[in-house]
Amino acid sequence: MNSMTPRAERKQKIVLQSIAFIILGIVFVGLWHALKSARAPSGQVVSEAILLSALSSLFNNLYIVLSISLVAILFGIACAFYLEEWLPATNWIRRLIESLVAILTGIPSLAYGILAILIFFSYADTLKKAIEAFPLPENIGAIPSQIETTVFYAEALTFVLMVMPLTIKTTQEALRSVATPIREAAYVLGASQWQVLTRQVVPIAFTRILAGGCRSMSRAFAMAALLVGIYTWHYTTEPGGMSGRFILFLSVALFLSIFSSTLIWRHTSDSA
Amino acid sequence: MLSEKEQSILSIRNLNIWYGDNQILSSLSFDVQQKRVTAFIGPANSGKSTLIRCLNRLNDFTPNFRFTGEILFKGTLLGASTDTTALRKQIGMVFRKPTLFRHSIYENVAYGARIAGVNQSEHLDTIVEKNLRKTGLWDEVEDILDETPEQLSIGQQQLLCIARALVIEPEVLIFDEPCGELDPIETVKVETLVRDLKNDCTLIFATNKRRQAARVSDMAGFLYGGELIEFGATEKIFTNPQDNRTEQYVTGRLG
Repeated sequence: MNSMTPRAERKQKIVLQSIAFIILGIVFVGLWHALKSARAPSGQVVSEAILLSALSSLFNNLYIVLSISLVAILFGIACAFYLEEWLPATNWIRRLIESLVAILTGIPSLAYGILAILIFFSYADTLKKAIEAFPLPENIGAIPSQIETTVFYAEALTFVLMVMPLTIKTTQEALRSVATPIREAAYVLGASQWQVLTRQVVPIAFTRILAGGCRSMSRAFAMAALLVGIYTWHYTTEPGGMSGRFILFLSVALFLSIFSSTLIWRHTSDSA
Repeated sequence: MLSEKEQSILSIRNLNIWYGDNQILSSLSFDVQQKRVTAFIGPANSGKSTLIRCLNRLNDFTPNFRFTGEILFKGTLLGASTDTTALRKQIGMVFRKPTLFRHSIYENVAYGARIAGVNQSEHLDTIVEKNLRKTGLWDEVEDILDETPEQLSIGQQQLLCIARALVIEPEVLIFDEPCGELDPIETVKVETLVRDLKNDCTLIFATNKRRQAARVSDMAGFLYGGELIEFGATEKIFTNPQDNRTEQYVTGRLG
């Protein structure tokens, strides 16, 4: 059993929060450097046309945004279950992840969009270098498909950083909202942890977990809408093109956000 | 050779419990005998709940909980490797506040059987009826089995909780102040039930009502400030206590 005095617990919390802060600091500084080195030597490569095509392929595809954020949300829910139900509250890995989550959920979603572009171009540059190092004629035709894979990684990484923390946070809150007496009442009847989870905790927490997932997905769509919108306004003179996509994404984001609020509101009025 | 009644089903040896740095219980030793009612009395915060929650390892979920000493259930030492799920199937528990699941009355009672793997509906029907009859609740809820238990009175809910606990046929049934929220008439029902259940299983009963312990129990222990001041036959504890503090408590001058 893990035992700790409140004082030692506070100390551990402060230390882990500082570690989380330092880790994120290093990640962001590293990404910034990656961007700088990716841009400087390949000035011609990162032209407006490529930026546009990159963006259009990055966040313009409804199905990619939908599927990657869905996978990130499911992964986040699984993480939250593991943290909340299997790790004791004093476990340092749990504390560290919770500290990271607390910092990451506070960052505005547009910042993550910029992050996605950073990741994409740092990858694009290494790709370009690799192609230059092995100048095979058939590789030239393969560039677009390789860009597709980098797009996929850039988007997946961004969503892991943006969608997962919010999902972890909301799912943990949902699981915590299930009162201890209900769990204990099931445990004393000889229910295993898995039975308590599937038959008692999840049915009660389901609405809030769903609401949290919707909120996270709304965040992903809002970010995609903003990026698509900004670049549409910047690079095209006539309305049309990607702006239709912008409106679509924005409406999806709004719908999900309203849906999630309605779920929470109904849930609280039900249990009150 | 000891008769069945004399044999102890639970033995506690030198039990110490801490929550963080706070010692809740210190060096407790006693035996719980089979098919008897063992009551623990004591004022609030004397460690009654902590003690009985230790017996079915429910304290494992409390953060910063730690204990030293030995708890023997039917001669087996309960340690870190004990299968707590199997243990809790043999040691049932009823709480102070009736906590019912958000299912129908029928499903609440059938829950214990369902998680044990009983699925045939006829079998479940018999189990539910048998246990509801045992608690005397059958006539009152027979027609509303498929409805939620929220409409029942708090006393009926508590009886439903006892019926639910009886479904798993525990060898030991722990009651944590089961009448704490009930009115006097409902309390009498629960007390009568406890005396009846003695024939089927061993009962452990925590309460802060002195007269209640005197009415229902065969053995009694007086807990005060985390120590087991006195443990013995109920009659002896209430009529001829050995310790000064026990005497003060049972006569109402302490706690």
